[in-house]
Order: sequence, then structure tokens, then C-alpha cells
Amino acid sequence: MKQVTYIVNGKKHSVLVNEHEMLSTVIRENIGLTGTKIGCSQGSCGACTVLVNNEPVLSCITPALRYDGATITTIEGIAQNGELHKLQEKFVEKGAIQCGFCTPGMVITALDFVSKHPNPTIGEIKEAISGNVCRCTGYKKIIEAIVEFANGKTTTSKDNIRVSKTVGVGRPYIEASKKAQGLADYADDYKLKDALHVKFLRSTYAHAYIESIETDEAERLPGVRYVAMGSELPITFGVLPISQDETAMAIKKTRYIGEIVAAVAADTEDIAAEACKLIKVKYRPIKEFLTIKESLNDIGLHEKIHSYGKFNNNIHKKAELRFGDQEQGLNDAEVVSTMSFDFEGISHGFTEPHAASAYWDENGLTLISATQVTHYLQRALAKVMEVPLSRVRVIKLYVGGGFGGKGDPFPHEMIVAHIARKTGKSVKVCLTREEVFLTNHGRHPSKMTIKLGADYDGTLKVLDADIAIDGGAYGSFGVVTSYYNGVLLQAPYKLSNFGFRTYRVYTNKPQCGAMRGHGAVNSRFAVESLIDDIAHKIKINPVALRMKNFLDSNTLTVGHYRITSNGSRESIQKVAVQSEWDDKHGKLEYGHGLGVGCGFFISGSALPIIWNELPQSTVHLKVDFDGRVLVSSGANDIGQGSDTMLAIIVAEVLGISMDKIFVLAADTLLTPVDLGSYSSRVTFMAGNAAKDAAENLKKEIAEAISGKKHIATIELNFSDDTVFSNDKTVVLPWMEAIEILTANRGAVSVSGKYISPKLGGDFKGAGAGLSPSYSFGACVAEVKVDTKTGHVKLLNVWGAHDCGKALNPLAVEGQLEGSWHMGIGQALSEEMRYYNGLLVNNNFLDYKIPTSLDTPDIHTNIIETIDPEGPFGAKECGEGALHPVIPAIANAIFDAVGIRVTKLPIMSEDVLALIKHKDKVEEKILSK
Amino acid sequence: MTTEKQFIRPGTIEEAVQTAQLHISSFAYLAGGTDVVVNKFQGNDNSECLIDITGIKELNSVFIDGDFLKIGSLVRLDDLKHHDLISDNFLALLEAANAVASPMLRKTATIGGNLLCENRCAFFNQSAWWREAVGLCLKCDGDICIATGGKKACFSKFVSDTAPVLISLNTSIEVQDLHNSSIVPLESIYTGDGIAPRNLSKTALIRYIIIPLNQVFRTIFKKLRPREAVDFTSLTTAVSLFNSNKIKIVIGGVDPKPVIVEGNIDDDKELIISAALRKCRIVDNDYYSRTYRKEMIRVFLEQSFLELIN
Repeated sequence: MKQVTYIVNGKKHSVLVNEHEMLSTVIRENIGLTGTKIGCSQGSCGACTVLVNNEPVLSCITPALRYDGATITTIEGIAQNGELHKLQEKFVEKGAIQCGFCTPGMVITALDFVSKHPNPTIGEIKEAISGNVCRCTGYKKIIEAIVEFANGKTTTSKDNIRVSKTVGVGRPYIEASKKAQGLADYADDYKLKDALHVKFLRSTYAHAYIESIETDEAERLPGVRYVAMGSELPITFGVLPISQDETAMAIKKTRYIGEIVAAVAADTEDIAAEACKLIKVKYRPIKEFLTIKESLNDIGLHEKIHSYGKFNNNIHKKAELRFGDQEQGLNDAEVVSTMSFDFEGISHGFTEPHAASAYWDENGLTLISATQVTHYLQRALAKVMEVPLSRVRVIKLYVGGGFGGKGDPFPHEMIVAHIARKTGKSVKVCLTREEVFLTNHGRHPSKMTIKLGADYDGTLKVLDADIAIDGGAYGSFGVVTSYYNGVLLQAPYKLSNFGFRTYRVYTNKPQCGAMRGHGAVNSRFAVESLIDDIAHKIKINPVALRMKNFLDSNTLTVGHYRITSNGSRESIQKVAVQSEWDDKHGKLEYGHGLGVGCGFFISGSALPIIWNELPQSTVHLKVDFDGRVLVSSGANDIGQGSDTMLAIIVAEVLGISMDKIFVLAADTLLTPVDLGSYSSRVTFMAGNAAKDAAENLKKEIAEAISGKKHIATIELNFSDDTVFSNDKTVVLPWMEAIEILTANRGAVSVSGKYISPKLGGDFKGAGAGLSPSYSFGACVAEVKVDTKTGHVKLLNVWGAHDCGKALNPLAVEGQLEGSWHMGIGQALSEEMRYYNGLLVNNNFLDYKIPTSLDTPDIHTNIIETIDPEGPFGAKECGEGALHPVIPAIANAIFDAVGIRVTKLPIMSEDVLALIKHKDKVEEKILSK
Repeated sequence: MTTEKQFIRPGTIEEAVQTAQLHISSFAYLAGGTDVVVNKFQGNDNSECLIDITGIKELNSVFIDGDFLKIGSLVRLDDLKHHDLISDNFLALLEAANAVASPMLRKTATIGGNLLCENRCAFFNQSAWWREAVGLCLKCDGDICIATGGKKACFSKFVSDTAPVLISLNTSIEVQDLHNSSIVPLESIYTGDGIAPRNLSKTALIRYIIIPLNQVFRTIFKKLRPREAVDFTSLTTAVSLFNSNKIKIVIGGVDPKPVIVEGNIDDDKELIISAALRKCRIVDNDYYSRTYRKEMIRVFLEQSFLELIN
């Protein structure tokens, strides 16, 4: 080790450093400035960027000893004397911060760039940040922030936001300033005294018996404190009660390459990793199943991936629902389009790797984890650890993005809890980016054939979908995914004849699960492609055809979904007008095209995953003598802004300013149960619970004032931090109102809840996709296709999404732009590639998330339809927007060059091959 | 663990090569380090001693020396654009440098490092665990090339974006070793063997990149990659038209070494393209398929010829 000295943010640090240590590790671990994030450990994501001697450096691949004596500025050193830097202010103001994990690197990169390029163009800004991955924002708001900072535009004063109106006013997240300064703690930033570090040994076989594991040598390595194996944790778990098929580590056999076989806890990560190499595992490989086709078929004398199930194949779930006779419907339809589609698997690509810490004390187990569902994780831990629920506490800190990928209970969480109990010490783990990819739970690779029938006048008559999805080695959310692939096709168009069948199969690959737009993204792509094809066949404008077929508001679908508010029409009209659809579609030069797609999604599932009679969401409010309202909720803010949403709702109901609200969320000991952040349920359900709680508190306050001031509660109004009567004879500043409330009583706590109404039909499968409300949306995409290379350049995306009511328009825009960006990735570059069951592109260099340069101009439109049951009319905006953008791109390619792409991602080589094929066919026709 | 590891920062090139000689059994030079460090993380470089040469000031200069432009090997890719000597004479070199990785990586990565960047393959640039799981390829002490399904040769691809442009400009490099320095054509250091893709002695360092002035009329650079930033090349072409009407084509990303085809502007272009295609040993070790990349060689060259003429 060597001693080095740095001046970090103006303070001198002399630290002992390992010879080959990276600067990021020294900054985070030795100096303790955890604002510098590690997202990839290969210089591909930019989260670790710091300034060294005033030059930006990717600290995760920079040897610490290179810069002995250097002056270093980390994100913590950018704000001065309690004042944010003007650029940080812009990031906060413009909503450029969502999960916040990329923010430190992004701010430092942008700061350096603008200091050297004072008047940059947007193109130059896009170029400058093209090495910094943001998975949340689609870069739009980041670019806006940098532009305004570079132009010296002053920040809008927060005082301009009217106190009396909270809902509907765009505002930064309540924690945005903390994130902008790198002061927000994520799971791996959490420090526990004398914690052990865990590393995993992972299977190198896709399907194999574990014949023996020798750990002696590993255990003898100095610094190793515990070596754990699968047999120590035999209890299965999984997010769905019907798919409890996973153990923390493989027991007897492994089911995918990358499955955890053993875990080592040691004094340092390096020692734990070294010890893993010393563990000797003897495997006996058996026949592996890597494709949907293999797993659908009878497997003969081979062994199934999981032993249960009555058939001799690897089918995990068959989901089928039929309304009407599809065969007859297709015979009767005047025009039918049939296509087969092929989709690769997709990763969530959140920038914060999974991380967790655990310890046991007199209160039982405490686990701090980057999770979307503290509640289900609490249940899974209690089950696997065999302790009562009351002895498990799960805490979520700030989470660097989830998108569904942190929605399951995970093996690493079980393992650190177990080792912490065995050793009596705190234990922590942070997965490498490779391990994050191997943990997967991403979008299922899928194959489907879909038939759509219509009449010549454009009326859609019948839809039949035959779907197979590749679930990987375990169940995860897969049963739900199986249904969603089908059921979520029954809207946004009127269909009286509709059926689907989905098979989910197990394969010997990392498991798939829920990902943004869960279940319906691929089949939505298929249907929107078919609609485009039918429109082309019967020569009807694709926008007009969709308009003709949209479901109305306040109606039922064929499968008994209750549609309340419905902004489909407004959405498509908006993007059609903005994109000059009528002037451009079908009228641009060869190679240049416009395409449209629509979408539809749930605002939370009406049914809980684990059947019980708890409300979907409960929110507690507490107000004490100081007048501050504590909002406690189990809802998990993972960067989507749910904490801010809760504060907005409570502030609105009570007529108080946001600075009187404190949100405590996602701690299973301190906060009431919320089912978690999945299925786009939080705004609708936790939002309604918060509204209910705030109204209950309002009632308490009104009754107290009524008793004291002898005025009817109905006369009292709450606004502008004041409670006043209609005739203004009573005018009480908030603090005086609280004094009256708490007099002779003390702090007041109230509760609010949301219980979904009973919905749906009484047939088997009727519960799938049931939601108290649905979102709708549309996108138009503009592309240019290089007919020599097949390269697709996406020029513009116009998007519109019906979110009911935008409680926080800035946050809603951010969700929409992030969704469209993620869809663009699936459309044009992202896929999980396997070689014999081994994931090949397990890093941010080879997994192709679109950079800022690959992201087109995005034009965002919020459509408000004021849902009758949503809080202030709000419904989801975080997932459904993703659906329409992918087919819009493919349909634009059809408009540009006349080819129909049925495979995602859309590879240049496939586009080129299709163009060549089309040219050949046309040549043949001409020659005849 | 890490106790025996060393990190040394020599101040001169002579000191650097002597340090290398002292640690000859296990060392790696580190310029920007953006390639070597990641290879270390993945266990593809296990050098005990890292010799960080970024402190060698003399290798940071760009100047004219007679009929040549000399670029110090430690000039960062991002800094090339700040030298009028380069933008005035070799715009394609700037295009190539700006096509490397991302802006932030270019602020660390050097031109010398880019010329010596290790060959890449989807089956090699992986963690030690991954390579064990796939069954170890030839480039990491295995028996067969996995990308080709069992060939006994390594086809890891040559990925430097600046080298094709420089070679097309007839660039030489000054190589400093323990006891001598020599000037050799840049193209001569690339072996075509994916396992040992360069023939420089282990201790040798590039001192200068030496580009002849006033020979080339125009150079066209093209790069194929899935995204507009970050990605290594799937195909790089550089075509230089000399004042003498000679053309020199250099192709990267499709063979273990840069593939070179020379001709004359009046030659039959189809013959030149065919010759290029014959020389490229493309395998499926990239984001794009082998057949597509092959097809794109033709497209890129045809487009380059057109742009040269126009």
C-alpha cells in the first residue's frame, strides 16, 4: 500500500491506497464521499466522473496512484456555502433528476463541458454527454437544463409557485437538491460498522447436478469469515405465491449459467472474490433447454428444469381466454392480416446495481436494499429466514432506477440476511454490472403469431393471438406476464371477438420477469403493426382507422375491463397534428417516413399478488405541535417521484405549503403496508390513500376548530397555509389551527387507505389485467432509412399520454420521456444475447442503451381526462407510454421503405435484407 | 492479494523502458489506461506491475519536423482537435479520433494507446468467470476459437479507429526500446495473429507518430457501430487519395489486423473492392453479423470512392 495525498473539495486527505486501486474506490471508501457512483466499472456509463486538476476523469477506471497530490472535485464539492451551483439549480428546476444515480457524473461532465464551450449548440451538448448513461429521463430535461445554464437563464424562483395550488403545478422532486449534490444515499452508500463483504460463486453450467462443493481452501484464506451453500437456505421463495420456485442458492442442481452456487463473506470484497475462486464445484451436466421451441416440446427421457407440472415438457404456464369464435370471425372478416413476430429479451438497464446490507439485533433482521417492493421482500425474508414477519424490517433508501427489475425478492438479499445471522455481523453486498445482467428479471424473449380481421370500412372485428414467452429458469412475475401478453390486447380498440393463448416456458437462462410496460409491450407492437398493415391493405389512413375503432369512455371491454376515462382520441389527434401527419404520411420521399402507434395500460392491479384483505395502500399522517405533517407510506420511490406525489396530494388537501410536509417512505417497521412500486399502481392507489388520509386529518382539524370557535365544519376552508371560514370571521394561520388541534390531545395521527372496487367478470382468468383505471396514449415517429446500409435514423418522436390528471406535470413529462427513450432502445438496439445459455452482452458497452446522440427530439404531450376515481383525476404515466413508441417506429419504417419489420430489435441488416427482398420481388413483378 | 502489486510512474521514456525490463515477467504499460484497466478487471491482464507513462512530458507534443508531422504518443485523443497542424492537414484523423468511445474516455485515452489497443472479441472481452463458463478461447489459453466454432486460429478483431486513417496516410512510428530506437511503418507492427496482434518487443514504447506532409489529397473515414457514441468499431474504413493518384485503403474491425489494399484512382473499383473483401477474415464476434459487415465493406468503399471523386 502507498500513502497518497489529495485535496478533495478543498480538504486535504492522506490515505493509504492499494497499488492497483481505482480512484472511485478511494473516493467512496477511504474518503467517504459516496456521491461518486459506480455503475459499470468500465468507463461506459459516466456515473463515476470527477474533476481531477480541473479535468473530468472516469474515476472507476483511473488508478488512484496516478493522481497523488492532485486536486479533486467530486459532486459534493460543487455546491458552495449551502448554495447549489447554477447548473445544479437548473438540473433541479428542469426535472433533469429522477433516480439521481447518473446525476453526479452528469453534472460534472456538463459543468466541465460548458466551462470550455460557453455557447454550445444542442448537438454539441448531446455529444458532450454521450458517454453518460441516463436510463430515466431520455436526456431531454438534462439537455434543457444544460442549455439554460449555458445561456445564463436565471432559475425560476420557487416563490412563484402558488401555495394555494399544489396539484397540477410542475415541481422538482422534494429530494432533487440532495440528489444534485450527491448527498442522497443509495443502498451501497449505506455504511455499517465492521461489515463483512459478500461475493458469489456462480454456476458455469446451464443445467447440471452439483455433485460436490469443496470449500476448505476458501475457508482457510485469511479474512474469510463464512462460506454459505444452498443447503443452508432450503426454503423456496418468489414474488408470486404460485411461483415459489427459487432458492437463495442452487441446491443439488443449477438451472442457468450465473446461478449462485456458494457465497463467501470476508473482511474485504477482494478477499471474498479470491476465496470464491478457491471453491471447487464438481458439476454433472444434463440436457439443457435454451429455446422456447425446445421447452414447448416433449422432452423425452431428459430431465425437466423443474419437476412439477403434469406434462413431460418445460411449460410453466398456459394462459388462455376466448370471447367469441375467432376462427369463424377470421373467416367472416373482409380483410385479415396475419404476422409472426420475434422479440429478444430486454434488460431494465437501471444505473444503480443491486446492493443490500443486513444485520440482526434485538429487533430481529434489518435489511437495507435497493428494492421496489419492501413489503414482498419482508414477506419473503420472513419465510426464508423462518422468523415471524414482526422480526423483519426492510428499509429502502434512494433507489437508482428499477423499471420492474428490483421488484422481486432476490437471492442476494436472502444470502446477506442469512450470513449476517450466522456470523453475528453486518453483511453487505453490491453486485457487479455483469451480475446485475445475470440476475435479469427483464422482458421475456417472445414469439407470437397474431391474426387481425377487419371489414373494408376499417372496423376491427376479430383478434387472435398465439404467444410463447421464454421465462428463463424461474417463475418471477411470469404467470402475470403470460396473461398480460394476451389480456391487455382487449383495448384500446373495440373488439367483440377476441382470444389468446400464451405459453410461458422455463429455459436454462436467467429468469425473466416484469419490466416497464409489463407483459404487453411485445404483443402491443404486434397488434399495432397488424393495424398498420390492414390500414395499408384497405387504403385507410392509419390514424383514421384507429380513431374509428377506439373504445369510448365509460364502457366495458369484451373481457369486462371497466374503462372510465379514456384519452385515446385526444392523444392520437395531438400527435397527428403536431407531426403534420396528414401532410407527411405516405407523402415523403423514399427512405423517409412517419408511423403511428397507440397504447393502453393498467393503473395498478385491482387484485393483490398475495390474496388478503388488507387495503391496497395505507398512508398515515401525523401532525404535532410544530405544524409539520409527517406522511408515512410503504410506497417505494425508485426515482419516479412517488414521495413528491404523496406530498403534493397532502399539501393540496390541507392547503399548506410543501415545506410543511415530510415524507417517510418504504420502511416496513415505520410505514404502513403498501404493496410496492409495480404495475403502475402508486399514484392511483397510494395517491388515493394519501388523499383519504389528508381528508381525515382535515376533518379532525375542522372539528377541533369547530368546537373551539363554534362554527360549523362545513364553513371551514383550507388554503394558503390558513384555515378560514366562509365569512372570514375565523381566520387561522396553519400553526394556530394546529395549536387548537393538539391542545389537550397532543400529536394527532390519522390513516387513509385505498381499496380497489370489485371489478371484472366471474370467469376463470377474469382477474388478469383488472385495474380501477387505464391509461391511453399514442406516438408518431419519424425515421430516415439509409437504403444502402439499412440503418434507421430516428428523427422525431411525438408522444401523448392520457395520465388522467398530471399531479406534477414536470414529473409526468419525465416519466413519459423516459418511457419513450426506453422503447426506442428496445426498438433499435437493445437485446440480451446468449451463447449456449451464457449471456454475452452483460455490460453497458455491449448492451446498447441509446446514448444522448441516439435519442431523437422528443415532443411531449400530457393529455388530461380527469379519471373519476384517481386522486384528483390522476392515473398512471410511468409504463404505458412505452407501448406505442416501438410500433410507431416500425410503422414509420414501412412508410419510408415499404417493409414490415417483425423482429425486435430492428437491426440494420434485417432492414437491408427486407429492402433487397422487396426490390427483388418488385423487379420480378415488373419483368412479368 | 494486492500486496505484491506495484504502480510506477517514470518521468522519462528511458526510465520507463528500464522499469519495464526490471519487471519483465509481469508488467503492463499504462497510458490512458482505458483499455488496460478494464482488461485487468476482467482478468485478461494480470500484470503485477503497472507502469504509468502519462508523466512522460516529451510524448505530449505535436510539431512539424521537416516533411513530417510528429504527434507524441501520449497526446490524448480529445486534444488532437486543439492542434491546427492536425486539423489543417489531416481532418480524417480528427474524425477517427472523435469516433473513438465517448468524449469522457477520449479525455483520458491517448493516440498511442489507441494504436496499441488490444484486439477484441465477444468471447474474450469478458470476466474470468464468463470465459471459464464458455470454455476458454484461444486468446485466453484455450484450445479453440469459440467465435468460429472450433478453428485453431484467433480472429479477435483489430479495433483502433485512428490506425486505419494513419496507415492510409503512410504513417510511421518511432519506437523506443531498451537500447535503440527505430522508425517503422505503422502497418508493420500488426501481425494478423489475434492472440499476439503486435510484434513490438514487450518493453518497446511508441515515441512519435510520424505522418508525411503534402502527400495525400484527401482521406475519407467511415465507421460502423450500433450507436453514435461509446461503441468500438464493427467496421472502420479509411481511404486516402494521394496527390500521385494512388489510393490506399485500410480496413479495421474485420480482421485481426488492419487490412490494406492499394491501387490507383483510375483502377477498376470492383477489382479493388474484391481484393479487400478477399483479405478480410471476418468472423461472428461482433454486434453485427459477419455477412452484414462484409456487405458494408463494399458499401463503405463505394461511398468513399464517390466522396473522393466529388
